[in-house]
Amino acid sequence: MTEDMQKALDLCESWVEKGRRRGADAIEVYFRKVRALDARFEKNDLQVPKGDDYQGVGIRVVRNGRLGFSATNVLDEQSLQETLQAALEIAAASPADPNLMLPEPGPAAPTPVEGISDPSGASLTLEDAIRKGQAFLQAARDFDGRVTLDSLSFAAEVETRAIASSTGIRAAENRTLFQCAGMGFARDGEDVSSFDMAMAASCRLADVRPEELGRDLAQRVVRSLGARTVPSFVGTVVLHPLAAVDLVVGTLEHAASAESTQNEMSPWKGKLGQTVASTLLTVVDDPRIPGGAGSTAFDREGMVPARLEILRGGVLQSFLHNTYTARKEGLRASNGRAVGTDQGTPGVGVHNLSIEPGDVPLEAMIRGIRRGLIVNRYSGSADPVSGDFSGVVKGGIYVDNGAAAYPVKEVMIAGNIYQLLRQVAALSAEVGVYGSYRIPYIQLEDVTVTGK
Amino acid sequence: MLDLLKRAVDEFVQAGTGAGPDTGGATGLTGAGPGAAGYVEIRYHRRLQTVINVRNGILKRAEQRTLAGAAVRCLVDGSWGFISTSDVSEEGLRRALAEARAAARLAAALRQEKVILAPAPMGKGEFFSGVPAPAAAGAAGPAEPSLDQKIRYFMQAEEKLRKFSSLIAGSNVQYTEYRDTKFIVNTDGAAAHLEDCKRSVHILATALREGERETGQSNWGVTGAWEDLLAKQDVDQAIAHAADLAIKKLDAGHPKGGVYTVVLDPGLVGVLAHEAIGHTVEADFVLSGSVVKGKIGQKVASDLVTLVDDGTVAGAAGEVLVDDEGVQGRRTVIIENGVLKSYLHNRESAHLLGAEPHGNARAFTYRDEPIIRMTNTFILPGEDRLEDMLAGIQDGYYLKDLGQGGQADATAEFMFSVAEAYRIKDGQIGEMVKGVTISGQAFDVLQSVDAVSGELEFKMGAGHCGKWQPAKVDGGGPHIRCRVTVGGR
Repeated sequence: MTEDMQKALDLCESWVEKGRRRGADAIEVYFRKVRALDARFEKNDLQVPKGDDYQGVGIRVVRNGRLGFSATNVLDEQSLQETLQAALEIAAASPADPNLMLPEPGPAAPTPVEGISDPSGASLTLEDAIRKGQAFLQAARDFDGRVTLDSLSFAAEVETRAIASSTGIRAAENRTLFQCAGMGFARDGEDVSSFDMAMAASCRLADVRPEELGRDLAQRVVRSLGARTVPSFVGTVVLHPLAAVDLVVGTLEHAASAESTQNEMSPWKGKLGQTVASTLLTVVDDPRIPGGAGSTAFDREGMVPARLEILRGGVLQSFLHNTYTARKEGLRASNGRAVGTDQGTPGVGVHNLSIEPGDVPLEAMIRGIRRGLIVNRYSGSADPVSGDFSGVVKGGIYVDNGAAAYPVKEVMIAGNIYQLLRQVAALSAEVGVYGSYRIPYIQLEDVTVTGK
Repeated sequence: MLDLLKRAVDEFVQAGTGAGPDTGGATGLTGAGPGAAGYVEIRYHRRLQTVINVRNGILKRAEQRTLAGAAVRCLVDGSWGFISTSDVSEEGLRRALAEARAAARLAAALRQEKVILAPAPMGKGEFFSGVPAPAAAGAAGPAEPSLDQKIRYFMQAEEKLRKFSSLIAGSNVQYTEYRDTKFIVNTDGAAAHLEDCKRSVHILATALREGERETGQSNWGVTGAWEDLLAKQDVDQAIAHAADLAIKKLDAGHPKGGVYTVVLDPGLVGVLAHEAIGHTVEADFVLSGSVVKGKIGQKVASDLVTLVDDGTVAGAAGEVLVDDEGVQGRRTVIIENGVLKSYLHNRESAHLLGAEPHGNARAFTYRDEPIIRMTNTFILPGEDRLEDMLAGIQDGYYLKDLGQGGQADATAEFMFSVAEAYRIKDGQIGEMVKGVTISGQAFDVLQSVDAVSGELEFKMGAGHCGKWQPAKVDGGGPHIRCRVTVGGR
């Protein structure tokens, strides 16, 4: 345990003790300290180099079966006293709920995850971050001078987080996170391409390669110049992993969340063990991927998450639970899917979500399509409750007789995501890593494509 | 606090005078440039946020959080440095100032285009929005309810929603309140103390029948007191509207896609004004090559369209009296009778494009730097009557409010989902349809406007606009009649 972690834990434990003395039946104190750097570029030029020092505490109390939460980033004695007082007052004003309990520690103590605290993070300077951003920009512009980087950021975070509770939870962790994301377009006279983006995030600096991202973005936007309209059709659509992140992933997370099922917002409610998607789909949440942007030894409640299969061959295996949702269903403990920061009560979510790849190389997938569309990005609505979606295809490529023919514009796709998940025809062997998501290309059949 | 910030800035400027490579008045046109330190700005921002969320009979969240700290921006040799910190002691501010200057110096060596700030009227004194000025406090209206009372109020509201009908399977009511205190000091003369309170309510109903789910919502927000929030929208009516909409959608069909003449309500007019037009006229997007670059003075919309952004509209959720660069808020006429008149600026872009900043540089929290944002963006009312506008449509749709989301980009191409849609046949409003989206090129849509109704309503105050950081904005207008692509099945 580093000195930072120990100091953070000491702070949490001292306020757990003070909370108990003030009459809390149970209390949890969550601490987070972040030093962040961010080099931002716009219009192909450096904008504002930023630094931020933040520390904050979130206090959750239970008293007479009632819950209160309050948070502050002013960490002097008076402010923390006021925050504790506010949490107790909120508890007093709230109705009792027998499921509102703080978790007990599980059988296994949290163990460090490989590669989530990169020592080079601590020594990274604002100048280094600027150089990384410049590398992205240079690579994109070198690829093609018609490319404009509308916005680009290279950001680094060095974080210490800790949690202690009166029920015996005690955990601390250091993490680093490096993120690079750029958004741009190509302009050739009056012809302006679709906006597109490239991004990467990892706890390991070496995993975020700005030059590759810059080239990838440039290639994508240049390819979408000279776009044409296409007539409407019903046919094959191939989702690029980034389009799948836009269109599918949020709905998957929503449907698998126990919060959604308990709120009658998920069509997967009551379907554990049943087939809810194509047999090709296996969806996994793995919190221990070395260096993974969402990797962690413990969740927002201090529970230790294990690898979790959500779908296996299209069959629903498990829901995502925090302590509250688990208790509501009579489960003994959560499965470590409490997410959030010091500024709010724990929600439910995933750590590193993957759709397992298939065995079809992308090239072969496209060769097999008579008439279809490759969707690079999706921009539009996706209602996770009904599954209805309708939106614009960005950077779409029309596929004709097994070959990528030309870029398209003013094309919309619409349908129902839950239905589409049953219509998966193939998954590529290639996997795109976007932040904490790992997704292959997804081939879907019978999608309504509205053109002109 | 204002004195502490002034002292820190004065001390820093004096200590920097005559030393270092950054001497030379980076502020350019600002006139009041303090020599070596360049331009310096400190903004202290304390936010007390309250969130109450009741879902399906359970108080899901009742939280209060404080986020407070200072942001320091330095402009040295035409380059910015920005540091935010939660340490607002004199020592903490001194350190942040020094780090911001170091960051600016670093950037100065690399940045190609140098920043010069346009002059602007600076905010000085006290500004109150949504909060009674202290002098008026004695004569103020009803007192603010306690947190306990607010929790009970929204628990009762959620119960009404849940019990509205046996078809309501999901009920979600959320209240959000921001109480902001800001002090802004800069070397160009700003010395402003701002108090602001913004509140919003979201009501979401989910109807369920034989495995099919539909949602309906009512959302609204204000800059104002508790009673202003309730005066803006009656809560019982909002509950009935959300529940009724969700239930009716269970029986609604989908529209047939195509290009139609439609009437957009003030909610969708606001979304069009903000999302599809407003972002393209934000000067940072203009400089990146948005579709309106170089089009000032050109006809971009029907004669009937005058579109403005105005942070001084009292009570609208985007009320901003002084922006986060210290500039006083003013109305910007973006489109006047169809002609593009102005973009939206911060001081930097205003210099580049020879314009005046009107208070559109905004930061969401002390940890964010000010960037160009809208405030209240709306189309001004015309002279038509809604009944006549509907009566003139043979085959079209009456479309109300934003649904689950939408998107628009620098080309002004947009796609919005619609919350509530009705078929219009031979001038009569007919059956409800669901799953409706509208899309098109926003300026083409504005060119097609052939009728504008006489009322003005703000309907976008519940949510946030996202552009690197959130911002409370508002938008609206009258009803307009225009041509758009309607997407369905």
